[in-house]
Amino acid sequence: MVVKIRLARFGRRNSPFYNIVVAHARTARNSKPIEVIGTYDPIPKADPYGNPKELHKDINLDVDRARYWVGVGAQPTDTAWRILSMASVLPKKMVGLQREKPLKPIDANSVKIH
Amino acid sequence: MAPRICGTSTTLASLDASLQTCSRLAAHTTRSFSLTCRNEKITKNRYEMVKWIKERATNSFDKSHPTYLGPHADQPFPSNPLFRSQSVLSESMKNRIYTQVMDHGVAMKAVSEEMQVDVRRVAAVVRLKELEHQWKLEGKKFATPYAKAVMKMLPQSRWAQGDMNIPHEPINDIPVHKLSMQQLFVPVSESRHFTREDAAKAFHEGLLSADKRSPQRELIEIERQAAEKDGDRAKSIEEFRKEAQEAEEAYANELARKSELEDANIKKQQKGRFEFRIKRYNSENVGKYGRARNVTGWRYGQALQERKRGMVKIPTSVP
Repeated sequence: MVVKIRLARFGRRNSPFYNIVVAHARTARNSKPIEVIGTYDPIPKADPYGNPKELHKDINLDVDRARYWVGVGAQPTDTAWRILSMASVLPKKMVGLQREKPLKPIDANSVKIH
Repeated sequence: MAPRICGTSTTLASLDASLQTCSRLAAHTTRSFSLTCRNEKITKNRYEMVKWIKERATNSFDKSHPTYLGPHADQPFPSNPLFRSQSVLSESMKNRIYTQVMDHGVAMKAVSEEMQVDVRRVAAVVRLKELEHQWKLEGKKFATPYAKAVMKMLPQSRWAQGDMNIPHEPINDIPVHKLSMQQLFVPVSESRHFTREDAAKAFHEGLLSADKRSPQRELIEIERQAAEKDGDRAKSIEEFRKEAQEAEEAYANELARKSELEDANIKKQQKGRFEFRIKRYNSENVGKYGRARNVTGWRYGQALQERKRGMVKIPTSVP
């Protein structure tokens, strides 16, 4: 069975909290995983005595275990990939819909029309 | 003579009879209009009130300090002599405490000694001022007129550099310990010198003596040294300030070192609107059964206690 690195949603209504887990792909989201390798708190917070407008999100990650699981072929989901790439466990990957770059205006002199 | 009812010439007995026979009529008679003439002379209480307003109150409403009605200067409620209003720190004092501690980096103990305010109060002022700054940054509205009005109603402690200021609070106050609230009869031989240590021991084995329980031991020590034969107050104060400064700096350095160590473990990355802080940790430190209390992450197979009845959620520490 495929082993995945994915997020398991805990917390309460409107206050999510995720465990970063290594689990078999076909098991339920919040079932007991093979291993918990970290957490991700998606709610932005300000430092207690810092600027209240500068917000941060906390990620706890066991980088060594993450490297190990990636090394033995665990497949991160897109979200997990983004988190792991921030911890430089994996290279960056463009995830989701990519915005198309607008075409440059055509220079009439450089175009040959037969 | 039978008691008279205002406005009628009936006796009480006949009134009682009429009450039983016809209640409507009786109600009419008892509710009759009072014909007693108004007292031309004012009562003594009213006379005194008017006198007081004329003498004392006319010019005192817009003063910055309060004028209480009570017979004493600090008694706000005239008929409650046990309630005495205690002075609070004035705004200028609070500002000075904050600037001394935060801008000039003076040790809190030294500020407490200089301004004769309890060191715990100094710490509280600094914390609250810090909170005020935080609120300003957040753009919260302040109820300044309300605060001013309240301050006007309270007596305030004032402090000026170089003056003989009245201390805001005495340095030899100690919190009353529960163990020392009992009444004890301890037989002691006459020749024995019964000290505070002995008194504490008599209450309980573990109870510290009054000297050791005082939160301002160093200040008391200064006074003790000054009272000695060749004591020099200025010198001992200077020594105390120096020691306080050194101790506080050592503590600050230790805190800085700890936070630096913690920061080294955290990788920060600005992404869009938010900064992501990735903290490294060892996921294998999960205790014997994988359920240690301080482990990162939501735990499996263990009910959360936070919704349980009677769980106290008031934080016991500040960040």
